[in-house]
Amino acid sequence: MKSSVKLHFCRWDLIVAAAILLLAGGLTFGYWGQTVSAAGSGLTAVVSANGEEIDRVDLASLKTAEERTYTDLGYTLTVEFSPDGVCVETSDCPTQDCVHTGTITRAGQSIVCLPARISVQLKADVGQAASSGDFDVMIG
Amino acid sequence: MKITTKQLTLCAVLTALALALSYVENMIPLGLLIPLPGIKLGLANIVTVFALYALGPGQALLILLARCTLGAVFAGNLNALLFSLMGGLSAMLVMIALSRLKRLSIYGVSMGGAAAHNCGQVAAAVLTLGNLAPLGYLPLLLGISLFTGTLTGLIAGLLFRAMEHTNLMKA
Repeated sequence: MKSSVKLHFCRWDLIVAAAILLLAGGLTFGYWGQTVSAAGSGLTAVVSANGEEIDRVDLASLKTAEERTYTDLGYTLTVEFSPDGVCVETSDCPTQDCVHTGTITRAGQSIVCLPARISVQLKADVGQAASSGDFDVMIG
Repeated sequence: MKITTKQLTLCAVLTALALALSYVENMIPLGLLIPLPGIKLGLANIVTVFALYALGPGQALLILLARCTLGAVFAGNLNALLFSLMGGLSAMLVMIALSRLKRLSIYGVSMGGAAAHNCGQVAAAVLTLGNLAPLGYLPLLLGISLFTGTLTGLIAGLLFRAMEHTNLMKA
């Protein structure tokens, strides 16, 4: 055997566990802190495929649930957008993680489909209508 | 690096074991309980931890590279190679560093490896997707790595206790 190995849990292992929890806490604060500060504003769902934005839906502008289909890398996802949130209804990807994620409802949350390289991310609205289809008249 | 026939045979057996554990792991529907992309128990990490202590970093790295490459070839998914390599190499580097700290037990080393594995895989997901969305999963994945790291440390420890009664590990 190359080196001796301690087989019993010791207090020094707790330092490793604490460091991991600290990192998780720091990331939670850094990533989700922005989410909390943006609470109360409207939500926009941003759909990306292969790192490029392919669709953007202003959830506040929806009256009822609306389904849209996205295809990339041979996989097709049916995404349901509603005023309350977004979920992947169906997907023909092998892992189905995107479907099992369920409905996301808060800014910062995302649904990721790695096989299709498609992600849906909720972002806090900055007060601008996201979809050009929402405009009745454009001036200037 | 000079490898004896006995060590080479042990490396091959451990690579096969790691591949089998990866295959078995895919049958466990952990994603139904915790719906996070890429969440796994990391059973193949048992072999990495064992090989690191029993054979040393060089041979443990060879086993890891063989497992990642063969796993991606058998699955017919070269995209999986990036994920398993980034996760596996991150875990390996952290575990090599932690195993040099003599005060830590196999549990601390294994937990650090599990956490680094998740960091590596999330980094691969960020690179693949081209946006930072997967970062939102990392805090939860790190929390879960405490459980999965303890589990793999426990099983690797049991393996060492079982091997004490054999002469397989003697040079």
